Amino acid sequence: MNTDLDYLRMKIKIILLFLILGVKSFSQDGSEFKKRVLESTEVDFLLSYYNQDGFKSAVSGGIGSEKLTDLATNLVISMPLNDDSVITIDLGISAYSSASSSNINPFNATGASGGGDDDDGDDDRKSQNVAAATAPYGTPWQASSGASKNDELSSVTVNYAHSSDTRNFIWNADVSFSNEYDYTSIGFGGGIASLFNDKNTELSLKANVYLDQWRPIYPTELHEYSKYGAGFLNQGYFSGVSVLDQSGQSNTNYFPSAFQAISDVNRNSYSASFGLSQVVSKKFQASVFFDVLKQQGLLSTPYHRIYFADKANYYIGQAEYIPNYESENNAGVYKLADDIEKLPDSRFKLPIGARLNYYINERFVLRTYYRYYSDNWDIQSHTVNIELPFKVSDRFIIFPMYRFCTQTQSKYYAPYEKHLSTEQYYTSDPDLATFEANQFGFGVSYTDIFTGGKIWKFGLKNIDFRFNQYRRSDRLTANIASIGFKFIMQ
Amino acid sequence: MIQKIIFGLMLALLFQSCNSVKEYEKVAINDPDMKLSAKMLERYETTFQVYREAAAGANGGKSGGGCGCN
Repeated sequence: MNTDLDYLRMKIKIILLFLILGVKSFSQDGSEFKKRVLESTEVDFLLSYYNQDGFKSAVSGGIGSEKLTDLATNLVISMPLNDDSVITIDLGISAYSSASSSNINPFNATGASGGGDDDDGDDDRKSQNVAAATAPYGTPWQASSGASKNDELSSVTVNYAHSSDTRNFIWNADVSFSNEYDYTSIGFGGGIASLFNDKNTELSLKANVYLDQWRPIYPTELHEYSKYGAGFLNQGYFSGVSVLDQSGQSNTNYFPSAFQAISDVNRNSYSASFGLSQVVSKKFQASVFFDVLKQQGLLSTPYHRIYFADKANYYIGQAEYIPNYESENNAGVYKLADDIEKLPDSRFKLPIGARLNYYINERFVLRTYYRYYSDNWDIQSHTVNIELPFKVSDRFIIFPMYRFCTQTQSKYYAPYEKHLSTEQYYTSDPDLATFEANQFGFGVSYTDIFTGGKIWKFGLKNIDFRFNQYRRSDRLTANIASIGFKFIMQ
Repeated sequence: MIQKIIFGLMLALLFQSCNSVKEYEKVAINDPDMKLSAKMLERYETTFQVYREAAAGANGGKSGGGCGCN
């Protein structure tokens, strides 16, 4: 009996010895347990529909329809490369249809444009089988058949992020590319984030550069002027077309001498962002952000028309609509531009923002955001955002949202036909005007932590839906609905 | 500018007075709705706001460039 007990004791001692040696050798390897930054590949599929309407189209010099619809989708794939590194690829495409930008060429396709290619890049994209059957006409209040009515924006961003073993230091680098018909952007940047104070404090710094390039499209009448010079009213697009004066009589004095084709088509943006986040208590955390942004190059939009108050008015279309040009009843006449908007070639922006989030109880969380913005074009803006997520159940959250924004106008802004030709810079873009904007909305979020629903190797973890209505004090209204699906690879 | 400095000082004071919250005490802080960043789906709203308003940035995301917007 004693021999058996001794044998058992000996056996336990040997096992314990192996266990101790095993643990020791494990720790000497340094292969301590380390939670992966991202456990498995995640895929987000996002979709958005946006529409708007307004009455101050910048393309028509500050009046006219701003109707626009946009359908956008993104596929965001996040993949763990190892325990510490994640690569994220974001692919996007956005397609829009806009009454405003259709009026870069506002005249109906059966008019002067039937005379041939005007080389402005707009007609090149549309059907060429037009016949000069009737005199051309247009109106700022409706979309024309111009090819610039539609466009697509494609984009790709690749981001690489690496975390230290302690997870207290993260660095990342990103590159991006986007392209639409008249605009291309290449961007790159990087950042660092450091967590300390038991991960209660985070400091972050990032910098980005965007090297963008316009391929300018000009309003049709200005393009023809730049192409043919002094005799442009008898050539190309204008050949055989009557230009009308304010009284509706045919007139050949239209001469937009202020207009010059753009020579520098680059727009470079350099930004630096500083962030500080702090866990204030068990239920409260806050962050502040401070950005510095410098933009250089072509900061105006080449197809935004300007009408000077001290220049005579000239039109193409039906004379009977001239007295009601600024009314939505104008269905058949369009005013010829004096120039395109001109803005300085540099801009310095300083936004500072803060988020304060408070966990009220197991049902409610309060999310708030405030931003103050100023720039050297004399624009100042305040933005407030409040969101109140309410947990209906373990899986469903609903959240009402409200956002308020107010801004003062740029010193270069004046409404339709208020600028003088003696000014150096001018724009009638209502987005740079004084206004207040209210945005109301709600969202619904569904989460299944067990990822019950499956598509191939991917389990559905989350569905988010958001709807918002936007109302600006200048009567611009917009609606936006978005839905997103998050899948986890299993 | 003075307003900005006061705002920054107030925040600094606020953070200075914070006690350290341990990881096991962060149940509420780790709630997904407590994240100090915009939600992924919010990007579309941010994009149209960047086009329709002059202000951008200071939200942890892009502050400008990359689009023919304001």
